[in-house]
Amino acid sequence: MSTQTDPDASQQRRLSRARAALKGVEARIGAPRPATDRPVLPLAPELAPLLPEGLGRGQVVSVTGATSLMLALASAASAAGSWTAAIGMPTVGVVAAARRGIALERFALIPHPGAQAAQAVGACVDGMDVVLLGERLALSDADRRRLAARAKERGGVIIAAGEWPGAHVTLTVERSSWDGLGAGDGRLIERDLTVAVGGRRQGAVRRVRLALDAAPGLRFARTGARIDVDRVNVDGEVA
Amino acid sequence: MSEMVSRRAAGDGARRADARAGSVSPARSGPVATVRRAVLWVPDWPVVAAMSDAGIGADTPAAVLHGRGMMAVSAAARTAGVRRGMRKRLAQRACPDLVILPHDEGRDSRVFETVAAAAEDVVSGVEISRPGLLMIPADGAARFHGSEESLAEALVNSVAELAGCECAVGAADGLLAAILAARASELVPPGTSRDYLADAPVGVLPLAAMERRQREQVEDLVGVLVRLGLTSLSDFTALPAGDVLARFGPVGRWAHRIGRGEDVRPPVLRRSEEDIAVRYDFEEPAQRVEQLALVAGHVAQQLDAALLEAGVRCGRVRISATTEQGDMLERVWRTDVGSRSGAFSRHMTDRVRWQLEGWLSGTSTGPEPAPLTSLGLTAEDVVPLGSEQAYLWGGVSGADSRAQRTLERVQSLLGPDAVLAVREQGGRSPRDRVLSLPWGQEAMPARRIEHPWPGRIPDPAPATVLPLPEPLQVLDAGGAPVRIDRRLAMSAPPTWVRLQVDPRDERAAAARRHPSSGHVGHGEGGPTWGLAQPVEAWAGPWPVAERWWSPDASRRACLQIALRRPDGSPGQAVLASFTAGEWVLEAVYD
Repeated sequence: MSTQTDPDASQQRRLSRARAALKGVEARIGAPRPATDRPVLPLAPELAPLLPEGLGRGQVVSVTGATSLMLALASAASAAGSWTAAIGMPTVGVVAAARRGIALERFALIPHPGAQAAQAVGACVDGMDVVLLGERLALSDADRRRLAARAKERGGVIIAAGEWPGAHVTLTVERSSWDGLGAGDGRLIERDLTVAVGGRRQGAVRRVRLALDAAPGLRFARTGARIDVDRVNVDGEVA
Repeated sequence: MSEMVSRRAAGDGARRADARAGSVSPARSGPVATVRRAVLWVPDWPVVAAMSDAGIGADTPAAVLHGRGMMAVSAAARTAGVRRGMRKRLAQRACPDLVILPHDEGRDSRVFETVAAAAEDVVSGVEISRPGLLMIPADGAARFHGSEESLAEALVNSVAELAGCECAVGAADGLLAAILAARASELVPPGTSRDYLADAPVGVLPLAAMERRQREQVEDLVGVLVRLGLTSLSDFTALPAGDVLARFGPVGRWAHRIGRGEDVRPPVLRRSEEDIAVRYDFEEPAQRVEQLALVAGHVAQQLDAALLEAGVRCGRVRISATTEQGDMLERVWRTDVGSRSGAFSRHMTDRVRWQLEGWLSGTSTGPEPAPLTSLGLTAEDVVPLGSEQAYLWGGVSGADSRAQRTLERVQSLLGPDAVLAVREQGGRSPRDRVLSLPWGQEAMPARRIEHPWPGRIPDPAPATVLPLPEPLQVLDAGGAPVRIDRRLAMSAPPTWVRLQVDPRDERAAAARRHPSSGHVGHGEGGPTWGLAQPVEAWAGPWPVAERWWSPDASRRACLQIALRRPDGSPGQAVLASFTAGEWVLEAVYD
């Protein structure tokens, strides 16, 4: 008996010692602020695996490969009262934005800012909560750095399509497969995205699999649908 | 104008409430004191308003078409034989030169404001009963002008001079008698209204109904009365009031009282609120922004002071500037009414400066930039201090006004059309389902979303919708284009899809030069096709035939196609449509 309790006791002692040491270090250097302190914008629950810490204010999120993912990121904040601007996205599907939950009365489109893109984006970052940027904007790297700093100061979120050097979070869609089509029958119903999450403070690249456009009623309405219902509930980290 | 409309609605509600109260207790039938009133009537108002709005001379035969018949006819057209209620074809046969104008209630009320303003030049308070008809309590005004004749003369002169249209004025006790008197340009002596009305046919009763639904009810009532043999008002008013109520309900009761020359409610007068304007004339034409910014600040402060002195706030400010060439540069800015008093002038200064900067740098649309000779600010939507409408819960949200200001700033930077507000509307293709307008502009009536729209592309909606469809190649297994015939039979299942690629891409350009690329014979100008991508799965074709009756008719068949990448992983899904022998890419589900 005693041979079994002794390692437990020593473990407890070591643990308490380690905790005391950690406390001492924290007292000397200053405790790190918990991550929840940072103000965040609301995020749709199905995107939580992508950004476990939430959509932090003042962040730059770069999204490659899926416009609908950009809209989904902005949707919950917009529904909760934030203003959203889409700059340099002449092809954005407004109906898709509305279906994702973006409130169109607080949604402005600036499709062709032209040579004055930097000023227009700057003004929007100052006054709007979420700014969606298209891929072909006339922004230099210095402009981008300035805009990121401005977003950090004002507490807005920039969601940029394509590469953004120094983005806090980089979401790259590596695989997107649609379900519901057959050979001349069916229709697009649901899709699976595999998103690689990287970024400045993200450590190693994670891969997250998530289902977009999954309408719960439809999944059971189609007979013979080859969809595994459980998959939606699984957090589904593939790698 | 909204004020006017709401007041009219309120008055109408009061009238209805009055009628309802009457139906509950017929004993309480005492009329409100009958008011002596003068009525100013502009004949054929809808057509007069439409002609003045369209800039057509008064001697042109014109008519306003509403629904299936002519709603109002100008005097010249009437001489040519066009009548109210005539069908369009008959009217055009009677008078081939007839100008047919659309019906627009908003325009009628808007243009009538000038007539009301002209009448207010003569008397202090008027009630706009409906566009085309003004009511004035006659007693005080007649005393002021000496007699009712001189009042009528002053009104007719003022309207002819200031509003530029002919009108008729009459005076009598009670509503209906006054309206009839105006139509006949008569002054009915006090106390004789009942006799004046006695000989009139019952058909005049709808003239006193100011609202369309009420007028329809009264017209139905008149039809019944005529079929019962009660053709004159004296026959109708001789019936006991209780019986009329029992047989015809509140409408009958209302008509009975109106027909006896009584009033159901006193006139509701409106007070005119003048727009508050300030103006600055440059001694020398100014072109430098710094110079203008100083003036902008000065003018904005003046406007703020003028608003404060009048005890009002405004909802919109119109900034207008005149250039040396005589061009007018004008734009209306919304301001949020409630929140600020001292900050107002600073915000207006900003807006004036943005606007002028935009003009002078030539980035925003408008006339040629030129030195300015004068600058004016006009406060519109003026409301008394303290009566602004805030949100239902709490005041104006700071984020909302900040975002509005941001968008106005961007508009001043890029031009008003560069910032779009979007709305969803009904339609079949993803492109048709969006209505986009310059930010801040009032929305046009959209196609209704609730309508069924058979053949609509099903949800989920594509996240990328091309503003203009792009050509695309849909090929069968042998590489020949897939065709869809009139009966929606496909020549072969689609096997390959070639999308367009950016011609600046070097690899694509190199591939384009290769003879196997399929570009041979297309010359240099054609689209640059990417590699053929295999089709993973597809659905369709779904036929969409729209507006076959109009020049923008379209007939297409849509296909949803999921592609596969060369490495075997699933690729993107696209919405393609086949129209007039060509495949186009409508949208991408990305």
